[in-house]
Amino acid sequence: MKVYEGNFLKDVVAKLLDDGYRVYAPVKEKNYHVFKVVENADEVDFDYINTRRSPKDVTFPENEVLMKYGEWVEEIPAQADKTAIVGIRPCDIQGLRLMDRVFLEDITDPYYEAKRKNLLVVGYACNEAGDYCFCTSVGLSPFKSDYADIIVTELGDKQVVEIRSEKGEAVASKFDLSDASDEDVSRKKELEQKVLSSFVRSVNTENLKERMAEAFNSDYWKEVAENCVSCGICTYLCPTCFCFDIFDDGELKGVRIRAWDSCQFPLHTLESSSHNPRREKWQRLRNRFYDKFYYMLVRKGEFYCVGCGRCIAACPVGIDIAEVINNIPSGV
Amino acid sequence: MNSEILEKIKEECRKLPDDISYIVGFVRKRGEPREVLKVLKPDEVDRMSFSPLSFNNPARIVMDLMKSDGKIAVIAKGCDARALKQLEKEEKIERERLYIIGVSCPGVIDYRKFRNAVKFRLPEIESVELVGDEVIVKANGEEQRIPFSEVIFENCLYCEQPTPKDYDVLIGEPREGKLDFSDIEEFEKLDREERWSYWMEVFSKCIRCHACRQVCPLCYCEECLVDPSNLAVSPMTPAEEKAAYPRVLGKTVNASDNMVYHLIRVLHHAGRCAGCGECERACPMELPLLKLERKLKKVVYEVFNYSPDEEIPFLSKLDILPEG
Repeated sequence: MKVYEGNFLKDVVAKLLDDGYRVYAPVKEKNYHVFKVVENADEVDFDYINTRRSPKDVTFPENEVLMKYGEWVEEIPAQADKTAIVGIRPCDIQGLRLMDRVFLEDITDPYYEAKRKNLLVVGYACNEAGDYCFCTSVGLSPFKSDYADIIVTELGDKQVVEIRSEKGEAVASKFDLSDASDEDVSRKKELEQKVLSSFVRSVNTENLKERMAEAFNSDYWKEVAENCVSCGICTYLCPTCFCFDIFDDGELKGVRIRAWDSCQFPLHTLESSSHNPRREKWQRLRNRFYDKFYYMLVRKGEFYCVGCGRCIAACPVGIDIAEVINNIPSGV
Repeated sequence: MNSEILEKIKEECRKLPDDISYIVGFVRKRGEPREVLKVLKPDEVDRMSFSPLSFNNPARIVMDLMKSDGKIAVIAKGCDARALKQLEKEEKIERERLYIIGVSCPGVIDYRKFRNAVKFRLPEIESVELVGDEVIVKANGEEQRIPFSEVIFENCLYCEQPTPKDYDVLIGEPREGKLDFSDIEEFEKLDREERWSYWMEVFSKCIRCHACRQVCPLCYCEECLVDPSNLAVSPMTPAEEKAAYPRVLGKTVNASDNMVYHLIRVLHHAGRCAGCGECERACPMELPLLKLERKLKKVVYEVFNYSPDEEIPFLSKLDILPEG
């Protein structure tokens, strides 16, 4: 465990920019933070609980051109510049890991792979849980991540820098880091205790697989969806929602684009025959919860929810994934 | 005070006509001080809640319920009633199947501002009361007073109709609204280039989640022309026909395409927008969508001398030739 006297995150942004990296870092918009490509370390603001949008667009952009066509076809090669994301929270690092499992296991997605291979991940441990956070309920830690290249903890006057990979080591070695003192270690422990006690929301995951298997046909899902408006906020802000659509834009000349899609949109499952297996909004909303806590658990062995709470905070009608899961009826 | 309003709402709901099957009202969300909309049975009146955090518009749910049988009672603020009226004019709602419990509204709280202003964690908050011009938040045996002006939803400052115009029973003293476009007039002072760069900056943030469209009670088209495969397909539809369907806008997300989406959406609200602000409230990127709606409303008012309160729909009125 190393410490850096000063703001490692900000200095690493400056260093990476100097080294020619494309750097995504949190920037304050009017009332919220988002990850953006920055050109200067001064644009960055690390004073946030989490960003409004998840950083999934770093490896999985909302629109991605796959091909151009006209009189001839021009394939767009899968390639990416050296990229870094700095200040990503542990829940979003887990989001990245889960996305990797979708796009790189079994079938490899070349576009995703190119971006992912060239990505350096500098994590940022949480100092405080937000009102919607529940990462501890899905088996995560708000201050640990073995999946990052580097993870930084803010101690106020200095930052603890933990190196988790060779890639991370290569970057960290350019900084003047000293070994953490016993005092630093105990201060970090204290902080971690404080963070853990700041959680106000939790999800009951006990026997969840069985509970969900049992409740699939329950009218509960109709009730949950009563005021759902079938917008795409929950899926678009979610760090692990990966559905996409591919379409051609332009008749004789144009581009083939991959774009985010959402299981909440009726057109998502509309088949050419006009049959729609998820015609009703309650079926679509139910799908989202089953996807996060059941289908992906069966397919990949883990929950596809990282507990970031974005979908709860932003849902215009107050649908709350934590409440929905906790209140699944039993014995139906 | 909203606790008094709530008592009156419950009282009215307990003496509803016998043929009411549903009540569309507010219940408090678990773990948070805000209310959410809920379809209640007449014997579930005790679950109801009401506060300045009852900001959602029930018109959309009422429209959905019209597909089922039975009469519906609804708790409606001024703008909610206006949305219901508009849907009635457009024959989406049968007024005779509706029992409107109107609430004279002092304005609702902007939940984002509230979350920033309040010193308590959300699950700790026991009550939120509007008393005079102060919001009193109680939690952990403590209370915090926040000036209402600091957390009011900005759109409510320009409310033309805080008291429902059409209701079966009214709760609270009627309030005067005013036609006020001062915010839009201020914006109009910017020159063309400034306005252009303002909107391009705004639209560059849109992620096209379509929440603004989905929450809007008046955006009820089953097929929207910005969806990627619009118009009905059936097993009989030949491929050539499907391919020839017009596609105005795909899923391309960039400032100019996003602008086309928002302008198309807003223009379809000419003379119809109820001004409830659900679009702006829903937007996860906090785009100032009401500026567009209000600008359009101003044009409709100034150029066509039309108010959404008129009994005749705007487009129908345009068809009536002036005398002479």
